[in-house]
Amino acid sequence: MDNIAFQGLIGLSLAMYLWLISAGLTIIFGVLRIVNFAHGSLFMMGAYLAFTFYGLLGLPFWLAVLLSLLGVGLLGFVMERFFLRKIYGIDEAYQLLLTFGFILILDDAVKIIWGGVFKIPPIPAFLDGAWRMFGRPFPVYNLFIIAVGILVALGLWVLFEKTWWGRLVGATASDREMASAIGVNVPWVFSSVFAFGAMLAALGGALGIPVRVVAPGIGAAMIIQAFIITVIGGLGNLKGAFVSSLIVGIFSAYGTLFFPVFELFFIFVIMAVVLLVRPQGLFAR
Amino acid sequence: MKRWILVTFVIVLSLGFATPDPAAAQCRLGVPAIKIGVQGAASGPHADYGRQIEMGSTMAIEEINAAGGILGCKLETKFMDDENKAATGVKNARYLVTEWGAHFMVGTDSSGVAMAMGPVLAELKRIHFFTHAATHRLTEDLVADKKIKEIVRVSVPVYQDAIIAALIFKDRPEIKRWATIGADYEYGYASWSMFKDTLKKYRPDVEFVAAAWSPFLTLDFSPHVSAVMAQKPDAIFSTPWAGEAVMLLRQALIQGVFDQVQVWWQAMGGSVDVLEGITSEVQKDRFKGKLWATARYIHNWPDTPENKAFNERYKKRWARFPNYSAETTYSALFIIKAAVEKSNSLDTTKVIEALKGMQIRNPGGLRVFRSEDQQFVYNVPAGRPVMDPKYPIPVLGDLRVFDAKDYYRHPPFTPVVVTK
Repeated sequence: MDNIAFQGLIGLSLAMYLWLISAGLTIIFGVLRIVNFAHGSLFMMGAYLAFTFYGLLGLPFWLAVLLSLLGVGLLGFVMERFFLRKIYGIDEAYQLLLTFGFILILDDAVKIIWGGVFKIPPIPAFLDGAWRMFGRPFPVYNLFIIAVGILVALGLWVLFEKTWWGRLVGATASDREMASAIGVNVPWVFSSVFAFGAMLAALGGALGIPVRVVAPGIGAAMIIQAFIITVIGGLGNLKGAFVSSLIVGIFSAYGTLFFPVFELFFIFVIMAVVLLVRPQGLFAR
Repeated sequence: MKRWILVTFVIVLSLGFATPDPAAAQCRLGVPAIKIGVQGAASGPHADYGRQIEMGSTMAIEEINAAGGILGCKLETKFMDDENKAATGVKNARYLVTEWGAHFMVGTDSSGVAMAMGPVLAELKRIHFFTHAATHRLTEDLVADKKIKEIVRVSVPVYQDAIIAALIFKDRPEIKRWATIGADYEYGYASWSMFKDTLKKYRPDVEFVAAAWSPFLTLDFSPHVSAVMAQKPDAIFSTPWAGEAVMLLRQALIQGVFDQVQVWWQAMGGSVDVLEGITSEVQKDRFKGKLWATARYIHNWPDTPENKAFNERYKKRWARFPNYSAETTYSALFIIKAAVEKSNSLDTTKVIEALKGMQIRNPGGLRVFRSEDQQFVYNVPAGRPVMDPKYPIPVLGDLRVFDAKDYYRHPPFTPVVVTK
């Protein structure tokens, strides 16, 4: 019983980490209707920038995370303002090509700047350690990720339900033309939403560096999982992304415990089942 | 047409034909250059292995060319990233041979890629010297059994990962419950199966209590660690490698695993990139002496002038320590040199013939060619990562050295049932 509870808690931390990545992807799709394949690359850039500020320059971990968010937010702003904006009106295949192009460019850029060898900074002292839970040591780091995931979920709810910017974004998402007609500066909303989504990706990347390596290609590993989660949840639906992160994270953890032989397929099985029952995803309108 | 134009044209043409190409003239094999196609994983968390393959081959070729090449022929290489994907490795091999004109190929990190390339090499009629891919099936099934002579392996297969571990830990009677956190592909399955088979022979009392499998590009190992720890194992047999090994070890540390187990065997943990990645943990003794590792070559062994000189040259050239894929690939180039000089030919059949009976001193020690499975046999010790004042990164200490004949499997091979 203890083992099941322990594994469930591990699954919850996996889920909350996946949620951080898929939240940004979902928000960008929900408002801009852009499937941003480069979201994984923004995640990777977040990890590299945080590594640079924290591991190389020796800044405090929190400050490094903050600077990494700002840096990737700026990168996201540039991507939207000077590239994506040019292709909103034309065939969707161009979005695919353009965002895929960014994956290649950013992957090679990090190889040029930081080299091909993976990086791993020391774990910050406050995250190093474990609390005894269900009879075994449970890592403080995983508890921290669970807390951050829940805080981000609450923060997003407040942001989109209670603030002026959130309502502006909501209005733009539901009807661009109408929003524009009543005086909403739609291009500005788009830029800010894309930058915000990029910052969420960077948050995931930056918070991963204490226990994960920073390497070219980690973005590709994340983007597949994040996509599956947004598809299961219903494209563009934040509540759906949260619930499907929980499903994927917790089920994967139990899959590893009870059906280790099928580890490789687990996430795909979940997706297939959901799509068979509800092709539009769990929470799609 | 004026006659003088015609005459000039003929003279120029004939001069052109008569002027010998200086490179080809020096080369006693009649080619402009001997071309070596090199492949490895150069992207993702395993990218350092491909990079080290490239660095090892580049350094070997620079040294061979500076000393006059092979029979007067200069060497030329082309490195390609196989992305650790079978399809890419096969595509690259076809390109390297049919388009680029490779005479030989070296490298390849992944067992899955190697197994896919095997049959294609037979079709291309080019030898590939494998310098990392470790599944025993590459040489036992594809060479000894199916007779694909275009496969030669310079690096030690999973005998190193599995059999040495069994030989060391059979003498620890208190360790009875083993679990694996395994790489979810050929390499992980093969080494775990072979480890279990070997250990069972010596220790019928041991139990294999749990297994968790992590696919390529796993970034969060905490579910795997907690799943196997739920069964309270005495020891962990772990095969994820490179950056994944570093992540796994750090994530195991924060789950307090090293307070709960007696031994953690990290098969390829003696590789330079892994040692670099766990330096601060080793300095703080956070593994409590329970971490064991080996590799397909370790830079601090053997303690010979050749190996020391190799390390010095390598550090001067690349500002890194050589990991095993660098040494095995470097040595593969010198094996090619010896075989081509002996056969006086670039012909695949003749070069394979020339490999028979070859014994060659490399930085990693004496390698002896075994014809039945075309495996170069040499030994590599296992040990515990420790700090040594002479090095900025951990080295393997407390070394256990086994004679290669005691831990390599021998032909005729009895099949190992490879299962998850």
